[in-house]
Amino acid sequence: MSATAETLYRRYKARAGVKTLVLVLAVFLLAVGMVVGLCVGASGMGLGQVLASLLKDTGRDHGIVWLIRLPRIIMAALVGFGLGLAGSVFQAVLRNPLASPFTLGVGSAAGFGAVSVILFMGGGFQTYRVAAGAFLLTLLSAALILAVARMKSASSETMILTGIAQMFLFSSLTSLFQYMGTMEQVHEVVFWFFGSLSKAGWPEIGLTAIMILVPFPFLLSRAWDFNLLASGDDSALALGVNVKRLRMTSVVAASLVTAGGICFTGVIGFVGLVAPHITRMVIGNDHQFLLPVSGLVGALLVVVADTLGRSIWAPQVIPIGIVTSFVGVPFFFYLLMKRSKEYW
Amino acid sequence: MNSDTVEVIRTLDAEDRVVGVFSEIVREPEFWGALADRPKVGSWRDPDVEAIAALKPDLVIAYTRNPGPILERKMAPFGIQVLRLDLYKVAALEREVLVLGRLLERDKEAARFCAWHHQRLGAIQERIAQTDRRPSVYMESYTDYHAVGPSSGGHEMCVLAGGRNIAAVLAIPYPRVTAEWVVSQNPEVIVKPAVYGNGYSLKDAAPFNKRREALLGRPVWGHIAAVTSGNVHVLDSSIWTGPRAIIGIAYLARWFHSKLFSDLDPEALHKEYLETFQGVAYHGVFVSDYPGGAGR
Repeated sequence: MSATAETLYRRYKARAGVKTLVLVLAVFLLAVGMVVGLCVGASGMGLGQVLASLLKDTGRDHGIVWLIRLPRIIMAALVGFGLGLAGSVFQAVLRNPLASPFTLGVGSAAGFGAVSVILFMGGGFQTYRVAAGAFLLTLLSAALILAVARMKSASSETMILTGIAQMFLFSSLTSLFQYMGTMEQVHEVVFWFFGSLSKAGWPEIGLTAIMILVPFPFLLSRAWDFNLLASGDDSALALGVNVKRLRMTSVVAASLVTAGGICFTGVIGFVGLVAPHITRMVIGNDHQFLLPVSGLVGALLVVVADTLGRSIWAPQVIPIGIVTSFVGVPFFFYLLMKRSKEYW
Repeated sequence: MNSDTVEVIRTLDAEDRVVGVFSEIVREPEFWGALADRPKVGSWRDPDVEAIAALKPDLVIAYTRNPGPILERKMAPFGIQVLRLDLYKVAALEREVLVLGRLLERDKEAARFCAWHHQRLGAIQERIAQTDRRPSVYMESYTDYHAVGPSSGGHEMCVLAGGRNIAAVLAIPYPRVTAEWVVSQNPEVIVKPAVYGNGYSLKDAAPFNKRREALLGRPVWGHIAAVTSGNVHVLDSSIWTGPRAIIGIAYLARWFHSKLFSDLDPEALHKEYLETFQGVAYHGVFVSDYPGGAGR
């Protein structure tokens, strides 16, 4: 190994060490956030009582911890992780800082699926039906992007334009259905779009975990390809990356993750866009770290937002979709101003 | 332009004066009968101005706040007056029925309805005054975990039926709350209006019972007094606020004070209202079944 190569290798190892530290710190902060969230609630249980109720059956308190607080916090972390991960994948494969599950229309499609069920299948009462509607439309929207991309050589521009077009299409269809709905149905639709963790239970967590965590190893295994793609389609092709296939499979996997993230909770916007940017500003563009840390930052954002949403105006709950923006935007601006150089 | 107004106009036996109705009227043909065939002029929040102008009415009746002042501005060029009434509020109902009666030259009919309403509501109030007990009540709006809070029609009904709304201390009419808060408040009665209810078309209480079962099965709700005693009820939105709120109040009073109102028959009251003031035969199902038979 030449002296220059050795220096580069050492520098890479040193940076990788820092990034590993950031990864560990993100895990630690998420764990702290989840414990704090677990101790916040209307029944006034402190940490000691929560721990006691976790370990043994103390009746009502045991139920509150195991069936209300814990599922809510785990769901918040899972959904945040999924949205952060999906956002970083969309931004990588489309090489666009504005890409996210929602700017690509995937969120609008999910919303349209949920609204269709609420209006025509008595959905408000059937959490699983609404989730299935949101899930199917999310996959349909991914299929639509892929179909157009397949005909037009899977360029990032084609995918983004298709995504934006279908975002407007599904938003218009949702508005049309809302217009046709009763006052009660419209009310329910509006709150689906605000996002809510109140219906999180263990079966829902199981399904969400499958949809988010199963595609994760596949996406992580493509981290080097995403790194190469950052230097352009031609460079990646020259270095042996099948750009077309990478783009298609990654969009499908990230859409599945998005669908898993929002089908039970409704739209929790902004996280998928901002979590990857926050992460990139801190640790750079190495997708080996960017993907998991974006997920962890997303998880932390949603857990903190949920805890704040439940506590600052208690016992009223401020919808999670609103609080994530209030929490994330100032932090995002802070990092943006603090950065002395371009990060994208 | 809204269901409450059309219903009161029918109470005043003046439905022949109605030239246009709200578009959603077609969803309840069993209740509205021939009125559902009148020309449609949009919804209470989004009127079709062109359709209204084409009908050349003397008067358009809308809610106080919906649609906004733009309705008057759009009606003015056609010389059409706008009257604002909130007939869904129990407190304002009798006064506004008299106003409408005067306008439609149906003073006698208006006075007759107001006397009936005043007497029925007064009888419930008199009996509630006999006790200081005000059972704690959690009333949930159409969307899960959205409480019925202060300044809402449901809250007004709860108070008139002798209940203590646990969400009365909250800041907004329909606040979102957590399951844990409801459990910690431990309400004695839980009430929820049905989301897609059209009780007049139902043959049995199955849709309400299904919703009731879902309420009973919510996580940790087994520790709530209302759930352990079975005092959990689902009622049709047609008797939840509006001119028929008196019927909803009768059901609530029965559920809140079962001994005090053991002789109160909300179903008979409903029948009386429909046959006396609406010319509609009583049919349908409007509340979930209640163990012990006090529900219907």
